[in-house]
Amino acid sequence: MTTQDTPAEPAVLVQGVSLRYGSQIALEDVSLEISRGSSFALLGPNGAGKTSLMSVLATLRTADAGRVVVAGHDVNRAPRKVRESIGMVFQDASLDDRLTAEENLDFHGRVYGMPGNARRSATDRVLELVELSEWREAPVRTFSGGMKRRLEIARALMHDPEILFLDEPTVGLDAQTRERIWTYLDNERHTRGLTLLTTTHYIEEVDRADWICIIDKGRVIAQGSPSDLKQKHGKPYLHVVAALPEIRSALLDTYPDARTTGPEQISIPADGEEFVPEFLSRFGSRLHEIRFEAPTLEAAFLNLTGRTLRDRADGEREAQRAAGRRAGRQ
Amino acid sequence: MTDFLPILRGIHGVWLREIMRATRDRGQLLGGVSRPLIWLLILGVGLNPYFRGEVFGEVRLVLPYNYLQFLFPAVIVLNIMYTSIQFAVSVIWDREFGFLREVLVSPMPRWAVLLGKVLGGATAATGHGILVLILARFADVTLTPLEVVEAIIYMFMLSFALTCFGVVLAGKVRSFEGFGVFSNTVILPLYFASSSVFPLDPSLTRTQLVVTYPEWLVALIRVNPITYAVDVLRGILIGFNQFPPYIGLGLVAAGMVVFFFMALRGFGK
Repeated sequence: MTTQDTPAEPAVLVQGVSLRYGSQIALEDVSLEISRGSSFALLGPNGAGKTSLMSVLATLRTADAGRVVVAGHDVNRAPRKVRESIGMVFQDASLDDRLTAEENLDFHGRVYGMPGNARRSATDRVLELVELSEWREAPVRTFSGGMKRRLEIARALMHDPEILFLDEPTVGLDAQTRERIWTYLDNERHTRGLTLLTTTHYIEEVDRADWICIIDKGRVIAQGSPSDLKQKHGKPYLHVVAALPEIRSALLDTYPDARTTGPEQISIPADGEEFVPEFLSRFGSRLHEIRFEAPTLEAAFLNLTGRTLRDRADGEREAQRAAGRRAGRQ
Repeated sequence: MTDFLPILRGIHGVWLREIMRATRDRGQLLGGVSRPLIWLLILGVGLNPYFRGEVFGEVRLVLPYNYLQFLFPAVIVLNIMYTSIQFAVSVIWDREFGFLREVLVSPMPRWAVLLGKVLGGATAATGHGILVLILARFADVTLTPLEVVEAIIYMFMLSFALTCFGVVLAGKVRSFEGFGVFSNTVILPLYFASSSVFPLDPSLTRTQLVVTYPEWLVALIRVNPITYAVDVLRGILIGFNQFPPYIGLGLVAAGMVVFFFMALRGFGK
């Protein structure tokens, strides 16, 4: 269950979903539930299965097993109803650069079957929401990355969806734009009960969510509110600075989980209530600096998913995209 | 009816986007104008004096038309072929840059998305055909308003079939580079191995035809559907047919249906 314990039907219900690409497992027995009006974050390393799950929810892929209900409609039995109920912001830019902002929105309205008057009023509303009204007649190719992303969010909201899927919506954007985007989305959530399902790499953004689901190798490995996950899976750390090499060696010998994190800095997991007093009594007088770090989501995430790099699949995909871009310029 | 109207709006939206993209693509427009001019001015004018033969000691035109008139319908078909098949690049573009996913996640059925795209590509290709049609007077081809209407309707049918064919090709190719090579290996052989730039069966005897063209070339031309597609347009524009026009019309109509369903199978995968 998510944070909002209401008897109402959930916005999204996923039960035992599995998906394979050939012999590769993309999703395995995934189950989760998203309450209406909540903000749900899907967190996982590269290749964990986040985008695959989004694709299944958005009816772009059919799961091999399991049941998925979105906005009260089964994705296999009523895919069209599901599509009418959702908005989607993709990880990669998907605007038409040769059209203006207004033309991109108008196109979206048409493919969602909106009549002319509804399209015009929705265009005005969403452009105002993302503060791009003055740019409505500008070609999208003249937009910055942040403006394009704001326009994509506007486009996803054009047809007034119940649920908004955002696949890495703020990747590559500066802090100001990221903050502004979350303000727009929170406004929509609070004013009209929009449900948000977000995947992101930015841990601080996940902290804003009501409920977090951590997924790795196609499996759900933990779920909970941000504070629950921090408490259950995050570790407090002591970051200490020791100028003398023999002190640093002694620390590393005494605490096998300790790691060198700077020229003279060592980070030590501070598990248990008695750890800090005991540590201070042994080493306190021989250290230059001691800093305590409360459990974080990042620590919880790394504890659950490990520290091995998962960038191979992403690199291959990026190389393919780059080749496409090069060819497009020729 | 309530379901049909939103789908119609969607088809119109996809069609409109293709038209806006085509009219804003200066390179494509330039190609659409320069290609027929080069063919008609250089090939047409250059080979015009040679389009005559000696028959029973008498020098006369191979056909009762000059070479510019004979070539003119074929140049229209060439322009349509290039635009239609190159249109498939936009399908690859949309697939590579995510635009296709945006449409596929909408409530529009896939057949309607494809229909909108193909109608857009076919309209652009017909437009490029009309650009050549405007040069009719220059090629010494005189047309009645009815012939112009017939030609445009037929050009649209041909554009539709070829655009679907281009989408089928795009489904087999995963990159822009691959498609460039692939399309040239399809368009040019199809075009030259048809009766586009020379008559298959001029007003000579069968004996002379066999002497003029090797059997393998005659066979190749006879199995090439573009031969019949050009022949229908030639019939409309200059009143000359080498084959019964219903063969070409039937092939184009069948191509519209068969290639559309083939394109639909691979579309959005």
